[in-house]
Amino acid sequence: MSVSPPPFSSTSDLTPDATKPRWGTRWLGPLVLLGPAGLWLLLLLVLPTLVIFQLSLVPNIRPGDIVNPSGIDNYLLVFNPTNFRVIVRSLGLAVGTTLLCLGLGFPVAYWIAVLAPKRWRNLLLLGFILPLWTSSLLRTYAWITILRPTGVLNSILSTIGLPTLEILNRTPAVLVGMSYSFLPYMVLILYSSLEKLDRALLEASADLGATPPQTFWKITVPQALPGIAAGSLLVFITSLGDFIDPELLGGASSMTVARLIYNQFLGQTQNWGFGSALSVVLIFAVSLSIALLLKYGDSSATQR
Amino acid sequence: MLQAATHNSDLPTLDSDFDVELRKVFKVFNGETAVRGVEFNIRRGEFFSILGPSGCGKTTTLRLVAGFETPSAGEVLIRGKSMTHVPPHRRPANTVFQNYALFDHMTVWNNIAFGLRIKRLGRSEVQQRVDEVLQLVKMETFANRYPKQLSGGQRQRVALARALVNRPAVLLLDEPLGALDLKLRKQMQVELSNLHQNLGLTFVMVTHDQEEALSLSDRIAVMKDGKIEQVGTPNEIYERPRTPFVADFIGDTNLFEGHLESTDGSSLLVRTHSGLKIVVSRTPEWSDRTHQTIVSVRPEKIHLHCAPPETSHNTFEGRLKHAMYLGTHVHCVVELVSGEMLTVRQATHLETLPEDGSPLYLSWSPSDCIALAARST
Amino acid sequence: MPSTRLSFSGGHSTRRQFLKASAAAASGLALSSCGWTLANVRTNVRTASDVLYIYTWAGYTDRELIDQFYKETQIRVIADVFSSNEEMLAKVQAGAGGAYSVIYPSDYMVRRQIDLNMLMELDKSRLPGLDRLFPKFRDPSYDRDNRYSVPLSWGTTGLIYNRKALNPPPTDWQYLWDYQQQLTKRLTLLNDQREVFGAVLRSLGYSYNSTNPDEIRAAYEKLVRLKPAIAAFNSDAWRTQILTGDLKIAMCYSSDANEITPENTDLAYVHPESGSSIWTDALVIPRTAPNIEGAYAWLEFMLRPEVAARICERLSFATPNATAFELLPREVQTNTTLFPPESAIEKSESLEPIPPDVGEIYNRYWTKLTSG
Repeated sequence: MSVSPPPFSSTSDLTPDATKPRWGTRWLGPLVLLGPAGLWLLLLLVLPTLVIFQLSLVPNIRPGDIVNPSGIDNYLLVFNPTNFRVIVRSLGLAVGTTLLCLGLGFPVAYWIAVLAPKRWRNLLLLGFILPLWTSSLLRTYAWITILRPTGVLNSILSTIGLPTLEILNRTPAVLVGMSYSFLPYMVLILYSSLEKLDRALLEASADLGATPPQTFWKITVPQALPGIAAGSLLVFITSLGDFIDPELLGGASSMTVARLIYNQFLGQTQNWGFGSALSVVLIFAVSLSIALLLKYGDSSATQR
Repeated sequence: MLQAATHNSDLPTLDSDFDVELRKVFKVFNGETAVRGVEFNIRRGEFFSILGPSGCGKTTTLRLVAGFETPSAGEVLIRGKSMTHVPPHRRPANTVFQNYALFDHMTVWNNIAFGLRIKRLGRSEVQQRVDEVLQLVKMETFANRYPKQLSGGQRQRVALARALVNRPAVLLLDEPLGALDLKLRKQMQVELSNLHQNLGLTFVMVTHDQEEALSLSDRIAVMKDGKIEQVGTPNEIYERPRTPFVADFIGDTNLFEGHLESTDGSSLLVRTHSGLKIVVSRTPEWSDRTHQTIVSVRPEKIHLHCAPPETSHNTFEGRLKHAMYLGTHVHCVVELVSGEMLTVRQATHLETLPEDGSPLYLSWSPSDCIALAARST
Repeated sequence: MPSTRLSFSGGHSTRRQFLKASAAAASGLALSSCGWTLANVRTNVRTASDVLYIYTWAGYTDRELIDQFYKETQIRVIADVFSSNEEMLAKVQAGAGGAYSVIYPSDYMVRRQIDLNMLMELDKSRLPGLDRLFPKFRDPSYDRDNRYSVPLSWGTTGLIYNRKALNPPPTDWQYLWDYQQQLTKRLTLLNDQREVFGAVLRSLGYSYNSTNPDEIRAAYEKLVRLKPAIAAFNSDAWRTQILTGDLKIAMCYSSDANEITPENTDLAYVHPESGSSIWTDALVIPRTAPNIEGAYAWLEFMLRPEVAARICERLSFATPNATAFELLPREVQTNTTLFPPESAIEKSESLEPIPPDVGEIYNRYWTKLTSG
């Protein structure tokens, strides 16, 4: 059987000009549709970002100073060892949180989307995202109550005769708090991705001799890859910007990029230029990771 | 009958003559019985079809064989071995899924190689077997494409190749051609048939398309409401249906409800509710205990006459309601004097079609109709 | 390069000019030929004269105070709160402070706002209560002669500790290093780089406001040694933690200590021997104040001895008002947490604004310290 691909349609090229809408009307539709959001984005995203970029080029700028871009000193400051370590630390925390959320979220999302009875799904999801309805600050304080030396966790541990844990004011507490905060997002996104999973593919895999674990790694995970990527990215970016959890749970070594940026604007020594440079670096790093992900993260996604 | 399995199967041949056996299999879903005591044996190398209307339990039956469902009662055997505790990934059967279920994150080549890699075959053997099967389904040039880049027919071939490359004892096909358009379907029917003949493999196909089942199968199981109505060769199913359902479901037919008036050694006399008397040749399946009966006459077995014919049996007077010219034949609807509507298929040897409303005579031979026990179903 | 300067000085900045500034920002990026400034924008928000917006610290006003003021003046007070001087300054500089007629900055921030020309010079004839202040509050270093600000409360920075958990009890900052092993992860310091560095500088015998890089480095190095024992830097969360026994000692403000010591009699506050900071929170009227009459009424009200004494008791901060002090019950007057003896305060300083380049040094060490 010879199946020839359909020839590229060239009808649009051959369409006589007379049938084309006039220039004005052709652009009117998109303009009306995109205009409001576009204006919104321009005013509240593009313009401020450009302002931040310009600020980042002024060394030692403080409120009241003239904005007069004059060099990249602020960027050199970003990469001095102290600040660079803060960035690396924040990236580490974000990556750790992302992995934790993925590890904890995937089984849950898989269970809700694939194994749980259909009529329970919405309720289960609702139950899972219920914590999002409370303030994030409240949730963080709840963790303090649980993790503090004489808190809920240690009371339980000592009641059942186990040694108590010193978690609060250490990095593990930050990871616990952040992954708890962002887990619902991960679960929601993974769920929507796994829900679309064609069960026939799993059966096909079993039919071809794959054991359930093999099917999971070779079929389920690749099929859910766009969801995994989207969820991870969302969690990564949000946790990179989080400073409530590190601040309240991280103890004496809680400095993160977000907090560092905050300090440059609202701290005791204001340095808007350096803060802006840090922001630009952060924006750049995040954009780059998104771009890389889009390009290489899921090559098969482009086939869909 | 086709030759016994001579294909190169990875499995040791077992003593059983049957590749697949179902013994009183039941399947209940949430209180709904989908399969009720299905029993059949499929011979080695046979092309076996399960035919029935949608919801009759045919796909469930296939899934019981594949192992995606476990029987609520009864037993499934493949090559004489009970499959009760064998999960799908360890059954010597491979499935071609209804919508192909191709892995769209893998190329055609990787899709086909999937099963072999799972079995950890050597690189060169995988290469060789995948190439071989690609050639078999004439898809060599598409090895590096992704499923989404293929047409329906091409995907169908890949799905076939992916199952065949594992050299299963049984190939299960779930409505394999259902998603294809008519022309492609005809073409693939021929290819499926050739493939079956060349490989000598046992094929079990589920379909709702009677024509497909009749043209491809060695034997057909007709299912209705979770039960097997009849198992037989296409000829048996068509010519000697056992139940009114089979008679009606396979091809077109005219049914007359009535009761047995008298019987002798070779024929039965049936009186229909409208008072017609029909003489029917006795078949070996006929049971003398049957009283209420349904007579089935295929449209193409009925002869049309403009004047009363000379034959004495089964001659009835009527009037042409409607005639449709269909090239190879004419499809007529005739209303009998007694009120029944009959469809008649007449080869187009009539020089002129009788006009609608004109009186006609119909007749058929007692051996061209069949009397079936009327069942409540 | 031609530069336009939009300054927050003076009252000539308007909305229109903000738009100009935005345009300048855009064109500046496009042409890279004209600069612009990080101007704070004055917004003259018109509010009714019977409503007074104040911008204050949490816990500095209560229902009773506002009700009493309303009864007397028919002016409704609406209080917004900030959690740090810097937050307040940033918000006001960003133009979001236009509604406020009274703000409550601390000493060094008063100085800063005066330098930034944000405050209205007070008409003392309208504030007869000013001469009832203790002499030292009539001429504070951050605002000589109270030209722009009225002191409202004061306090010290020190240590709150659990008497049952610590033996011997602490008397000075040095205690933290001497008993570091006992205190591991049972100690918090304020989340304020100047206060933390100031305390350590003081324990080394230097000024709380040192601008000497070597002294600051020495303080940093000393802090690094204490670091393993520090559970966290926080200015608020220590309260519950010390009440529940998770902390043995915490650096805190005297007013906060005074508030929670009654809840647990094991807790005590100590003013470190080697000295600490003395802070003053003041009332100021910003130049942008929409309700100046109301603002003066509020200042006059707060200076009244009866009112000052009542809030000193109720809201538990020390009053700088001498007449009010006399009205206080004996046990409040002798509360050394609120009113430490003069001898203890002698060595203490108030936080002074420091030059930006020195601030940069503090900042760098702080980042280093808190990034582990």
